[in-house]
Formats: sequence, C-alpha cells, structure tokens
Amino acid sequence: MDSKESLVYLIKEDDGGRSFALLSTLLVLGLIFHAYVFFVVKETDIRTKYDVAIYEITFEEMNSTGSDSILVGDGETDTFSITRSDIDPVQEQMIAKITFTISYEETSGEILDPCDEVRVQIPPNGMVADWQNTENILADSNDDCQDMTLVVFIYPEYFGETITMEGGDLNEWHALWSDESYGTGLLNLEVSVDTNEAPTSALPTVNDENEEIQIQWDVLLFEASVERMN
Amino acid sequence: MAVDGLLAVGGILSLALGISGILLIRTQKQEVIWNKHYAAQLLCWSFVCKGVANGVRSVGYEVESWRFVLYTGHFADQIFACSVMMISLLYPVPLLRNRKQFKIGLAAILIYALISLGSAVFLRVNTPMAGLGDAYIFCGFIWTMVYLKFRFMKGHEDDKEVLGVSDAAVLLFIMVVGHITFRWVGFFAASDYFYFLDMYGGDFEADYFWSMGLGSAAIFGLVILLGEIYQTSQGRGRATSYLVFVYMMIGLVGHIVLSGTGLSSGGGGTAAGENYSAFQGVWTEITSAVHFTMMRPILGLFILFRFGLVRISEDNQQIGKTMSIVLIVVATSALLEIVQSLMPLTEMLSAGILGVAIAFGIGWEERSFQSLISNPLRFPLRTKGGYFPEIKFEKGEYNRLDRFMAVIIAFSIVLALILELSSVNPFQVGG
Repeated sequence: MDSKESLVYLIKEDDGGRSFALLSTLLVLGLIFHAYVFFVVKETDIRTKYDVAIYEITFEEMNSTGSDSILVGDGETDTFSITRSDIDPVQEQMIAKITFTISYEETSGEILDPCDEVRVQIPPNGMVADWQNTENILADSNDDCQDMTLVVFIYPEYFGETITMEGGDLNEWHALWSDESYGTGLLNLEVSVDTNEAPTSALPTVNDENEEIQIQWDVLLFEASVERMN
Repeated sequence: MAVDGLLAVGGILSLALGISGILLIRTQKQEVIWNKHYAAQLLCWSFVCKGVANGVRSVGYEVESWRFVLYTGHFADQIFACSVMMISLLYPVPLLRNRKQFKIGLAAILIYALISLGSAVFLRVNTPMAGLGDAYIFCGFIWTMVYLKFRFMKGHEDDKEVLGVSDAAVLLFIMVVGHITFRWVGFFAASDYFYFLDMYGGDFEADYFWSMGLGSAAIFGLVILLGEIYQTSQGRGRATSYLVFVYMMIGLVGHIVLSGTGLSSGGGGTAAGENYSAFQGVWTEITSAVHFTMMRPILGLFILFRFGLVRISEDNQQIGKTMSIVLIVVATSALLEIVQSLMPLTEMLSAGILGVAIAFGIGWEERSFQSLISNPLRFPLRTKGGYFPEIKFEKGEYNRLDRFMAVIIAFSIVLALILELSSVNPFQVGG
C-alpha cells in the first residue's frame, strides 16, 4: 500500500498527529465527565424522570376577625361591604370562607317593645367566590333578637385537609392553591329592618324608627405548601 | 389527527432538497471528483431519509397506525445516520483512500446499519444496539479533526483552498448536530434539560448511549468555538466563525431559558416538553426546531453548491434553479408557520405575507443563485494533494448507490408496514 493511502499518513500529515491526539484526549475526558454525571450525579433523577410525581399539599389555617355596626332605618335596607383589603391577609394567604354573625337587640328602651324583624342576605355577586357551593348560607331573618350566621365559601374545593395529587409539577400545584383572584371584589351584606311597635306606641313619646345592627366577620385564611413525595 | 406543521413543512423541505438534488447530480455533465460525487449523493439521500422521518412523525403518535409512524421514522433515522457516517468518511477529506478501503468502509457501515436495523426489529427500538447517538460521535470526531488540521495548518493561515476544507467540515458538523449545540452548556452544567434527553426512554443503557452522542456534539462544538475565538482574535475570522458564534451563543442564552426544565418531547431536544413554559416552548421552536427542520436543508443546499459537490452547467441549470425556488417557497412557508405559532394571523393576512415573502425570496434567489454556483470553492488539490487521493469510479457505480439507497428506503417503509400489521410491541423483545 502506498504510504499516502494509509490512515496514519492522514493523521500525521502536517501536524504530526497533534490534532488527532488533542481531540482524542478531549473526547475521552469529556465522555468520562459525561459518564460520571450520568451514572453518579444524576442517576436517580434520570431513572425516575418518567415517574409520575406525587405531591402532598398541606394547608396552614389562620383566622382574621373584625366587627362593625350599622344603623338601619325602619323599612330600609342598608348594605355593608368588605373587601380583601379590609381583611388584609399577607400575599400568600388565600381566603377560604367568610362567616358573618349578625346580632342586634331591641334598643328603643320602651317597655314591652318586641324585637324588630331583621333580614340579612348576601347577593351572589361582587366578590369572586365559590357561589355554587351548596353549603353557602346566603340569607336569614328573624324577629327574636337571635344571632344570625351567614357563610360564603370563597376558595373552591377547599376543605382544609391534606391532599395528595399525582402528576404535574410543583409550581403547577402551588399555583392551583395560590389563586389570588378568589376573594377579590366587593362582598355585600344587605340588612333590612322592619320595626315592631311596642303596645305603648300610640303614645306621642314612644318612637321605634331604626335598629343598630352589629356585624362580626370571621375570615378563614389558609396558606398552601406543596411537597414532592417521591 | 393533529399535524405538527413545522415538522411537516420541514419534511417537505428535506424531501424536496433530497429528490431534486439527486436529479441534479444525475443530470450534471461536468466531472466531479469521486469523493464529492459520493458525498453529494449521500447528502441528498440523507435528506430524503429526513424528509420521510419528519413527514411521517408530523402526524404524531396519537394515531391508530402509531407503530408505522414509529418504525418508519426510526428506520429512516437509522439510514440517515449511516449516510452521514459514510459522508464523514469521504468528505471533505476522504478517509477511505483507495478502492479496497472504500469497500471495507462501505461494508462496515452496512454491517452497522444491519445490526442497528435488526436490533430494532428483533429486539426493541429502545435497545442500545438500535441506538443512533454513535453517529454523532463518529461524524463529529472526523469533521472536528479535519477542522483542526486545516484551520490551524502552519503556513496556510490565509490559503482560501485550505480554509475551504475546514469551512466544509464546520458546516457539515453544524448541519448534523447544530440543534444539540443549542444545549451545550447543559452538558457541562449537568442540567436536566440536557441529561434527560432520550430517544424513547425506558432503557437506562440506551439513554446513556444516546446522551453520550449528544455529549460528544457539545464537546466538539466547544472545541470548534475555542478554535474560532482564537482565530478571530488573530484577525482571521471567517463567515463560518460567526455561524459558530451564533449557534454557541444561542446555547449560552438557552441555558438561562431552559434551566429548570426537564423532559423534552424530542430526542435531540427539538420539541418542547410538557412542563415547558410558553416562553420556553417558543424558544425551543425558534431555535432547535428551526434548525432541525429548516436550517439543515438550507445548509445542505449551501454545501452542495458552494463547495462544488454538484456542478451546475447549462444542462442542469434549470433544475438547479427550480430546486432553489422550491426550497425558498417551502422554507418561507415554514417560517410563516413559526410566526403563526407565535402570533395567530388571519388566513388572509398570512396568505398576503406568504406572497410577499416568496416574491422577495425568489428575487433574492435570482441574485444569489448565480454567485453561489458560479464560483464554487476548490480544495487544495495542487498544494495538499496527498489528502485527496484519486480513485476512478464509473458512472454505473455512482448510479448503483442511488438504486441501493432507493431500495433500502422503500424496504424500510415496507418493513414498518409489516410490523404495523403484525401489531408488534416496539418496546418489548419478541414483540
């Protein structure tokens, strides 16, 4: 065979085989590095890359309360509103539900004056909430000065218990339970009063024209944390 | 059936280049040196294979005949891998230096093809034996070595003929593994977005060999980058230097963009994974997918004409012009497909843009085609003739390669159809 026809000639020509030696060395070193990363550093990650991830989502609950009062005239309806800023949760805290306790007593001071009739209701709009939840209590009324309780569930599907989910990724599940749009907007509580006259109401000094209504709200907040279990 | 538009257009582009290139080679009258002639034929056939693979995969695997899609794509890729391995043995510098070596080289590639094809049929498609990543190591090593030899040849630093050889080696390297250089930083940074790349998954060893092939591309890419940085710093930058800089720079930016991602839905990272954000998806589309579907045929066309692998004369000039016009039209459609995937356009608007783009493209073609074909780069046959041995091949021998490639591609499609009808499990030994 002519010497110029051999592969060795090709390798050694011009540079004495330096290109071949340099490239071979770099390739071997590079592939050793690759094997080290593949079989040592990332072996577990690579073997489990197709495993369906299991995530545990836990919730830490907190409460925020507040109260206020409004004076509602006889035959009138007044609206009391609260927003997320009134509750003032930190950014990571989501609103699970809002419970209103409405209380009043007969304040006319007249002897034998019966309790007024008070009706309360929350129109299913204004605030972004789980309005379809069958456990919502959106209206009540009484005329015996008993407390009334209204409940609005804000964050859908929130039950407060630890849940386990498969698939997806950590950010996706965290985003699912960190949707700040729930609880935005104005939640309106409408309060109507019909006064009941005392037997002495015919007297000119007797006058029952309004009622002071106490409103207390209890907001259940939660913060979700997601952890991969496998 | 959801068709991946870009992959489909890329398939058409590759097929158009491949078939018209073969026609061009068969009708050329001027004599072309043997290694260029074979390289041109193999390059065109490799594009036919890519056209088949990309075209069939564009329908996705969510179809009734998913086995046909999988096997046809896999076999076409195996033939593609063998074709580019053979090209690297012949071009730009022939490593097979006489008839006997040529036959041994051809036989070795054929045995390799039979082993990998047989393993996919009789074992599993995801067995290491049926792997495709080794082709990247093989070709990458040869082309990078040729690059180093000719780019750093003492006393020939400004010799256009010598530098043309290194340019051809770099362009071929980028054409085959350019989409992997978009992830080169991930190789060295041990990032998931690089090490999670696999062909099918499910076999740790097969994943390793595939990843090793991709890793070699990152190593060779870095070697070429450092070489070009040095040469440019010495005032010897070339057009190919800037192409290397662009590809490797995209890899650098890509590391920032893709960090935190894991699985990609393409074997070489050519498609976004399920957990990619919208931006990461767009990034993958405008980098890896564009290279894989559009840049490969365009670089192939450039190599064919610029380095005189195909000689254009009056006899075949019309076919050559038609070929480049078809490529421009299809490439423009592919570009529009990408734009549409990024921002929805009305049909009327997209038709208008397509018309304007094609008009510009054809206008450009008129001007650039002549300069591309009229003065092909010559290799240093006089000064460095030792690198380029002469072997005489008859026209019938060249034609025999065309017939063989046509038969093997047709055979692989029929084989895929038989496997589809047999309802075999591609991921289980003995199906």
